[in-house]
Amino acid sequence: MSPDLLTALIVGAGLFGIGLYGALSQTNLVMIMMGVELILAGALVNLVAFWRFLHPESYAGQMFVLIVMTVMAVEMAVGFGVAIARFRARGSVEMEEARELKG
Amino acid sequence: MSPLALVVLAPLAAAAGIPVLRRAPAMLALLGAGAGLIASLVLLAGASAGLHAALILPGLPDMPLRLVGTPLTALLSTLVAVVGALVLIYAVGYMKQDDEKVRFFATMSFFIAAMQTLVLAGDWILLLAAWELIGLSSYLLIGFWYRRPDVASAATRAFLYTRTADLGLYAAVFLLIATTGSSEIAVTLHSGAGASVAVGLLLLAAAMGKSAQTPLHDWLQRAMAGPTPVSALLHSATLVAAGAILLIRTAPLLPPDALLAIGIVGGITTVVTGLIALAERDLKRLLAASTSSQYGLMLVAVGAGVPKAALLLLIAHAAIKSSLFLGAGVFQHSRHSTRLADLHGAGRDRPWIFAGFTLAALALAGIPPLSGFFAKDAVIAASLASSNARLLAPLALAGTLLTGAYMARALRILWQGKRRDQPVAGLRWMGAGLAGLVILAIGLGAAFPFIETLLATPVPEPALARLLGLSAALGGLALGWFIPGRRLLGPLLPWARQGFAIAGGVDVWIVRPALTLARGCERLERGLYAGVMAVGRLGLGLGRAVRRSDDQGIDGLIFSLVRGTVNLGNRARTLQSGLIHRELAISVVATALIFAVLFVTLLAF
Repeated sequence: MSPDLLTALIVGAGLFGIGLYGALSQTNLVMIMMGVELILAGALVNLVAFWRFLHPESYAGQMFVLIVMTVMAVEMAVGFGVAIARFRARGSVEMEEARELKG
Repeated sequence: MSPLALVVLAPLAAAAGIPVLRRAPAMLALLGAGAGLIASLVLLAGASAGLHAALILPGLPDMPLRLVGTPLTALLSTLVAVVGALVLIYAVGYMKQDDEKVRFFATMSFFIAAMQTLVLAGDWILLLAAWELIGLSSYLLIGFWYRRPDVASAATRAFLYTRTADLGLYAAVFLLIATTGSSEIAVTLHSGAGASVAVGLLLLAAAMGKSAQTPLHDWLQRAMAGPTPVSALLHSATLVAAGAILLIRTAPLLPPDALLAIGIVGGITTVVTGLIALAERDLKRLLAASTSSQYGLMLVAVGAGVPKAALLLLIAHAAIKSSLFLGAGVFQHSRHSTRLADLHGAGRDRPWIFAGFTLAALALAGIPPLSGFFAKDAVIAASLASSNARLLAPLALAGTLLTGAYMARALRILWQGKRRDQPVAGLRWMGAGLAGLVILAIGLGAAFPFIETLLATPVPEPALARLLGLSAALGGLALGWFIPGRRLLGPLLPWARQGFAIAGGVDVWIVRPALTLARGCERLERGLYAGVMAVGRLGLGLGRAVRRSDDQGIDGLIFSLVRGTVNLGNRARTLQSGLIHRELAISVVATALIFAVLFVTLLAF
């Protein structure tokens, strides 16, 4: 059985929902970022599915997915850099304690 | 260098050098005066040998400035130089304790230089310039102690009186130059055209101002505020003499009517100021009144048509009056006052000075064989010989009588009283200057024949004049010695004390109107000032209104905009809690809302 568009969209929505739940429910910065990764992964599954089943002749969709993946990697590098710096300075990455981000 | 130039330049160089060097001012002044004296003696010797020196300097176009050495000018120049030098010798002692010797001696030297220029001037323009310069320097010298009360006003008064009268000289000179077409005095005098009565009267007005003739005699007495050497120089050979010198030099030019006016003015002056001198309560002011009186006698002689008699009296008077002033200066130093009440017995303190003073006083009264006798004699003879003898001779005799009376009064006051000896600084210098002048006052009579031959005009000397003059002089002396001046004057006393102010005198006729005019001008000016201030206030108000509208209008608008923006920003800031979960939640809810809206709109349309 070859997967069809609907299945792919359901998997993407599931990934998005798990990620959103993780990002909102966790207090640890690392866990929040993992949630964000999952949200983005859900969005990528959708993008790939739309490309594969609706416009397989165009490469633009493929290229777009690759660029989003690169941006994800870069974003993670920055996020973990912030987490490490904060851990070194305060000994914790609990976001409930990070009120000084307020403008 | 020609002696003619040296006569003027030597004192002028001293006047210029003293303020530059600022060292040994007295010695420099004496050096300048001495050089000038030698030069003027050389000039006189040349003139008596028949040599007419002349120096033409570039001046106005077609009107060069001239200095001339005629017998008359050389004689007058010698007189100025001799008296100037002796007074300067005296001043070395007199000013010993003054702090401003530099200013004093520089101005004195300048004064002598100006007077020499006036005496030697060969044309009207230089004469006018010198005339102004002696006015200026006498102003500076009378006001020398300008910090003392009343001194500045006395100097200003002297300056204004003489300046006012100077206008007469200006008008006369312009008239003369216009009618004869030449500015040279000699040409004007010998043009033969003669001058109008108007010119004569204008010259008389100028001479009246400078020689302090009635009714302009007031300033001279006030001028006593200056140092005593200044008074001595002023009265004898310089400022006051300038008026008489002017008339003596221009006498050949004047018509009979003008001469008569001159004689009458002189006669009235000699009597009026003689009476003032009798009433005077201050020694120096007494001498000043006597100066006016003697110059009045000179004017009588000019008016009688014998200017040479006036010249003789001028010369004798120069020596006599300067020695009187110098003696008075010594008494002033020893009693620190010139009021006669303070000077009782001052003569006994210093018998030698008093002897000199007495000799000079007797010479002034006209006692033979002192110089004043010959001069007075010549004046009385001239008045008797004139065509107006009935008018002039009694005035001249009255003047002589009064001279004796007030001099005897001064002598009596100085001699009677107690001794109160006080040391006087610089007495030796003062004594030296005084001695020189007293010797001149005594012996000048011997030189008169020489002067008469020099000027080639013998003076008439009838025995009647001699008798009348001598008896008037002796009578005056006796009156003054035995009867106090107060009783002598009788009902005239209060009037004489006020200086014979006719109906209030100058004060009422000139000063009050001038002051009223000044007050009117002041009121006008205050009005103008108020107007200007009102315009200014209007401008200020306008400016303030503009500023207010600026502040509260445009600025207010901009600032309220700024405040609004800042408030908005502050309100927006409160949204930022810093809690990541809350912000995440907000963004999720907001995204959901946006999707909902999009969905609904998609469905609806």
